[in-house]
Amino acid sequence: RISMSVTEIRSGFTAIKANIQARDPIRTLSILSHPQSLHKVKSSDRCCIIHNLFNFYMDKVFKHCQTEDSYINRKISSIANSFLSIKRKLEQCHNQNKCLCGQESTEKFKQILANYEGLNITSAAIKSLGELDILLDWMEKSR
Amino acid sequence: PRTAAHTGELYCSLPNPRNVHFESINMKNVLHWSAPEGTGEGVLYKVKYSVYGIGKWIRKPECRNINRTWCDLSNETADYEEQYYASVKAFLNGMCSDWMETARFNPLTDTKLDPPMVNLSSTEKSISIILTAPEKWKRSPDGESVSLLQVYPGLQYNVSVLNKKTKKRWFFSISNNTLVVPWLEPGTAYCVSAQIHVTTPLIHSGFSKEYCIATLKDKTA
Repeated sequence: RISMSVTEIRSGFTAIKANIQARDPIRTLSILSHPQSLHKVKSSDRCCIIHNLFNFYMDKVFKHCQTEDSYINRKISSIANSFLSIKRKLEQCHNQNKCLCGQESTEKFKQILANYEGLNITSAAIKSLGELDILLDWMEKSR
Repeated sequence: PRTAAHTGELYCSLPNPRNVHFESINMKNVLHWSAPEGTGEGVLYKVKYSVYGIGKWIRKPECRNINRTWCDLSNETADYEEQYYASVKAFLNGMCSDWMETARFNPLTDTKLDPPMVNLSSTEKSISIILTAPEKWKRSPDGESVSLLQVYPGLQYNVSVLNKKTKKRWFFSISNNTLVVPWLEPGTAYCVSAQIHVTTPLIHSGFSKEYCIATLKDKTA
């Protein structure tokens, strides 16, 4: 079920990627991939980072990504719905304590929040949305 | 041209390069653009690129003052865990254009894939198909080879097998790279074509050309 949702997210994002990324003029800052790349996260920390990032996108990103384009808005809400179904699945892991957060993943997530809070909310949300492929590439690579 | 005092850049009134974009096959990432409108011969270009999330624009010396409209940035964009921007500026008779940028380029999702190599062998009643995924672009011929299978763990193959006599065609979707097609007719020609299919991110190659082989004749007949 999770991989189907990830595929839905991927195709939804592909449809709006150029539009959303064009709305982000800041080349010098990344929310997810700098200074420390997601790809450097240890596999033991994966579940915790994914769990935190799904909460991050639900709580801090999708709701701040309204655009003037109804097609884009519909795609964003369908991506958010797919996120929600994965998030519910991850809750089960988290509640059964299979999703432990080590110091490294806690640090990494703090960095992501710091990157996010370094911008105004709308810019940070649009930039985070435009980086969905960074999250998906990392999730799919180390499945 | 007047110089902008604070940046030292020239005020630029030359029309801009157009359609600046990456064309990528097997992660050989080449920047392409079209000449500025109405400028004819003599336009020169320079190119720079940047890693998304890192501030610096980096000039590409091999693509400085060039008159062609492409620049191979495969080396500079080889890390497919990063994403990139590239930019081009045009010069003509002392005038210059603005820097024109690409969209954000993700080598992992924005590359195209060549079809797989197809090797065939046959017995009386079966054909064996061995498929080889293309290699990722590499810096030099003797550099380390990286199969695209390593880059895309979810890589699969779609295989088409055609009976040349009856024109009957079968399709197979396989994850490993070998396929044995049994219960065939002896002494008959079969043609095989194959395609790479990656589910996430969603990428697929075209189908390869057809490779044909005949099953051995039935010795008892």
